[in-house]
Amino acid sequence: MGTFFTTYGFLIVSMLLGAMLGLSLYLPLMTGQLSLASPGFYALGGYIAAILSTTVFQQTGGLFPLPLLLVEMIIAGAVSGLLGILVGVPALRLRGIYLAIATIAFVEILRVLSLNLDITGGAVGIFGIPQPFGTPIDYLWIVLPLLLVSMAILYRLERIRVGRAFAAIRADELAADAIGINPTFYKVLAFTLGAILAGVVGAVSAHFLNTWNARQGTFDAGIIYLTSVLIGGSRTFVGSVLGGMVFTALPEVLRGMATIQGLPVWLAQFLRDGRLIIFGLLIVVGTIFFPQGLVTPELLKRWRKGDRTSV
Amino acid sequence: MDLTLFLQQFLNGLSIGSVYAIFALGYTLVFSILGIINFAHGAVFTLGAYFTYALMGGAFGFNGLLANARIPVQLPFAVALILGSTLAGLVGVMVERVAFLPLRRRNSDPLLTVVSSLGAAVAIANIIQYLVGAEIYTFPANTYGNLPAAINFGTADQQIPIRTVQIVIFVVAVAIVSLLTYLINFTKFGKAMQAVAEDATTSSLLGIDTDRYIVLTFFVSSFLAGLAGSLVGSSVSIAGPYFGIAFGLKGLAVIVLGGLGSIPGAVLGGFMIGLVEAFVPGDFSAYKDAVAFAILFVMLLVRPQGLFGRRLIEKV
Repeated sequence: MGTFFTTYGFLIVSMLLGAMLGLSLYLPLMTGQLSLASPGFYALGGYIAAILSTTVFQQTGGLFPLPLLLVEMIIAGAVSGLLGILVGVPALRLRGIYLAIATIAFVEILRVLSLNLDITGGAVGIFGIPQPFGTPIDYLWIVLPLLLVSMAILYRLERIRVGRAFAAIRADELAADAIGINPTFYKVLAFTLGAILAGVVGAVSAHFLNTWNARQGTFDAGIIYLTSVLIGGSRTFVGSVLGGMVFTALPEVLRGMATIQGLPVWLAQFLRDGRLIIFGLLIVVGTIFFPQGLVTPELLKRWRKGDRTSV
Repeated sequence: MDLTLFLQQFLNGLSIGSVYAIFALGYTLVFSILGIINFAHGAVFTLGAYFTYALMGGAFGFNGLLANARIPVQLPFAVALILGSTLAGLVGVMVERVAFLPLRRRNSDPLLTVVSSLGAAVAIANIIQYLVGAEIYTFPANTYGNLPAAINFGTADQQIPIRTVQIVIFVVAVAIVSLLTYLINFTKFGKAMQAVAEDATTSSLLGIDTDRYIVLTFFVSSFLAGLAGSLVGSSVSIAGPYFGIAFGLKGLAVIVLGGLGSIPGAVLGGFMIGLVEAFVPGDFSAYKDAVAFAILFVMLLVRPQGLFGRRLIEKV
C-alpha cells in the first residue's frame, strides 16, 4: 500500500483537485449558466499563491508553513470571489452560448495579461514555489478536507432554500422570477461561489505543481472540466466530482495501459501518444450516449433505496 | 502617425481581416442553420493548412507516424489550395455525421452539441499531432510562383511595400464573399438554406431535404475554414496542431461582433478586428491578442446581438 501511494500520489491528488474544478464549473451550472470562467479564476488563484509565497512570505529553507498556505488560500478565494462579482454582475445578463463566449473572452484576456505582465513572470511564469509538504501524497492533508468540505457544502446547498432557488432558475428563469426569486442575485451567487472555489484550488495547485505559468488555466482546461461535468453528470454534484476525477486520471491511465506486457507495438504506441485522440472521441461518444451524464439523480435515488427496490 | 505608416498598417489590417472574414463566414453559416457554434471549426482550419501543404509536396518532419513522408506529386499552390480546402470540407461533413447528427436525431440539449464538437476538435488536433508531430511547417518559398515578393504602393522616396501574399489573400476573400453572397441570395441552394435556417421543421414539411442542406452547409463552412487555414499558413507558417484553436477563439469574437448567424456581419466583423489589431501601437503589440476579446466582451455587454444580429427573442 505504501508503494502504491508513493507511485500514484501525484495522480491521486491531481484527481481530487480535478474533482473540485469540476465542482467550480458545476456551481454556475446549478442555475443553468454555462460558464467557462473557472480556469481563469484557477489561474488567478495560482498566481496569487505563487507571488505571495515567492516574494512576500519568503522562507529560508525547510517546508513552507501550512498556516501561510491557508492565508494564501483565503486571499486567493477572496480576490477571485470579488472579481467573480465584478465580472458576473454584467456578464450574467447573457444566456447560453453568449455567456459561454463572454467567459471565454474573460479567460483569454487574463491569459494575455499574465503572459505580458512582469509580476507574473511573463511567458516563463513563476518557478520554485515553496512546498509545504515533502511528497505529493502528503498534499492529501489539505486537498482531501477541502474536497470533503466543498462536497458537504454542496450537499447542503442542494437541499436548502438557496439551492431550491438555483434549481428553479435552471428549470425556468422567468417562472422563478415571477414567484419572487431574484434570478440575478442567485446567478451571481452561484457564479461567485464557483469563482471562489476555483481560486482556492488554484492556490493549492500552484504549490503542488511547484511552477505556475500562463499555460495553467486556459481555454483547453475549461473544455476538459466542462466535459467532466457534463459526462460525469450535471444534475447532481456527485457527477461532477466523479467526472472530474475520471477525466483527470484518464490520460494517465491510458499512458499506464501502454506499458502492459504483450501488447502489439502499434497499440502500445497509440495508447502512449494518441491518448488525447481517445479522450476527444470519448467526449463525442459520451455526449451522444449519456446525455444526462453517467451519474443522474435517479441513479443516486436507486442506490439509496438499495435492495428494497431491486428485489 | 504619418500617412505612409497609416496606409501600410491599413493594408496589413485589410489582409488579416480578410482571413478572419473567410474563417468567420464558415462559422456563422453553421450557426445560422443550426443555432450552434461548431467548435471543431478551428481544428478544420488547421487541417486545411496541412492538406494544402502536403498537396504542394511539402515534407513532414521527424516526429509522428508520417515522418519524412511526402505525396509523390507536387501541385501548384492554386490547385493545392482548392483541393486541400475541399478535403477540409469533407472532414467537416464527417464531423457533422459523427458529432452533430446523432445528437440532432435525439433532440439533445444544444449545450451537448457544443461539447461534442469540442470533443471532435480535441480528437482532430491530436490526430494531426500523432501523424505529423508538433513542428512548425513553412510553405515552400515559391508558393506564389513567379510573382514579385512585394509590391510597392508608394513613390520612390515614400515606399509602401505590401507582400504579394497579402494581396492574394485579399483578392481571394473578395471573390469568396461575392460568390457566397450570390450563392445564398440567388440560387436554389441558397433559398433552401435560408428556409432551413429560418425553421427546419417547417421547411422539411414543405419538402426541403433538411438533412442534405445541413450537410452541404457543413461542407461549405469547412471548405472556408480550410481555405482560411491554408492562406494563413502560406502567409506565416503552420504553427503546429493547435494552430487553429487560438484562431477559432478569435473567430468567435468576429462573429459575435458582427452578429451570430449574419453573413455581412461576419465580413464586417472580420475586417474590423483585423484593422483594429493592425493599429495597436507597437509598444502594446504584446496585448494585441487581448484586443479582440476586449472588444468582444464590451460588445456582449452593450449589444449582445452584435452589429447585424437579430434581437434575441425571449420565449415565455
